[in-house]
Amino acid sequence: MRKTLAIAFALSAAMLSAQEFKAGSQVSDFQVRDLDGKAVSFSALKGPITVVTFIATQCPVSNSYNQRMIELYKDYTPKNVKFIFVNANRSEPANEVREHAKRVGFSFPVYKDPDNVVADRFDAQVTPESYVIDSSGILRYHGSIDDEMNASRVRTQRLRLALDALLAGKPVPAMETKAFGCTIKRVHRVS
Amino acid sequence: MMMKRAIAFAFCLPLFAAGTLEPVNEAGFQKLVLSHKGKVVVYDFWATWCAPCRAEFPQLVKLQARLRSQGVKVVTISADEPEQKAAAEAFIQKFGVQGPAYLKKADDDDHFINAIDPKWSGALPALFLYDKSGHKVRSFIGETDMAALEAAIRKLL
Repeated sequence: MRKTLAIAFALSAAMLSAQEFKAGSQVSDFQVRDLDGKAVSFSALKGPITVVTFIATQCPVSNSYNQRMIELYKDYTPKNVKFIFVNANRSEPANEVREHAKRVGFSFPVYKDPDNVVADRFDAQVTPESYVIDSSGILRYHGSIDDEMNASRVRTQRLRLALDALLAGKPVPAMETKAFGCTIKRVHRVS
Repeated sequence: MMMKRAIAFAFCLPLFAAGTLEPVNEAGFQKLVLSHKGKVVVYDFWATWCAPCRAEFPQLVKLQARLRSQGVKVVTISADEPEQKAAAEAFIQKFGVQGPAYLKKADDDDHFINAIDPKWSGALPALFLYDKSGHKVRSFIGETDMAALEAAIRKLL
């Protein structure tokens, strides 16, 4: 009995930490909350190409990308790319996210991911961290927006390269990339 | 004679000014690991912009002071941008970091992160614990419980 319980706990812990959406795999529906707390589904927000980006209000790295995110939204929305910006930090409540978005001039909505359920399904670890999903629901890109926190030293526009490739019907040059960033402040789960 | 020998010895030592950051790239990190064989080492990747990194930094300095005599070393590597080097140096000076400290010098962060640990996302803070043989035995990503880190270190002594 003890052994069964131990296995059950180990399995549930593994399931809690399991990454569900991997590069090349299908992304199933998920829900985020708007800043009034209303649930909104990925299926209602997605487009032919969808970018999901985890961001933060207090992370200097995420904040260094605010203008770049505004420009991405401005440049790619006319190309029918949809953007879902998500704040999964337990330490940054909806009212702070709303105030931050207003202060930095975001032209797009930001959603909350209570209990970092969506961040867990993507296995998102840092802010900012982006995911690109194609029209078939396949995850085609996971990683950083570009290769430099300092905008003046950017050499590779990674997210733009992925979007341009998908829009042209070509393979994404690099499906997975990494960058230094702030950890997503997750809820503490008993495991 | 004694004086001459002392001067010669001083010149043989690596020229690390206390409280300054030496650049380290992927190859340099591997050399660091080799040079610390025989010690249990915690490599602390941090940045001035990372609040939890700043919070745990003094705890790591204290941990190192407490366990130094048992062959434990904490090596700090700042992931700050070159523009923040002075701020990072001012920060480590505040805590009186012993021994050389480093600043990440990577042509490509993606490549640098993978060279340290392919499983690492690049999230900070990140601590990598190496045993006396120079093998990485554990990583601690995000806010770290110092008691858990110390327990993991003590298992390697």
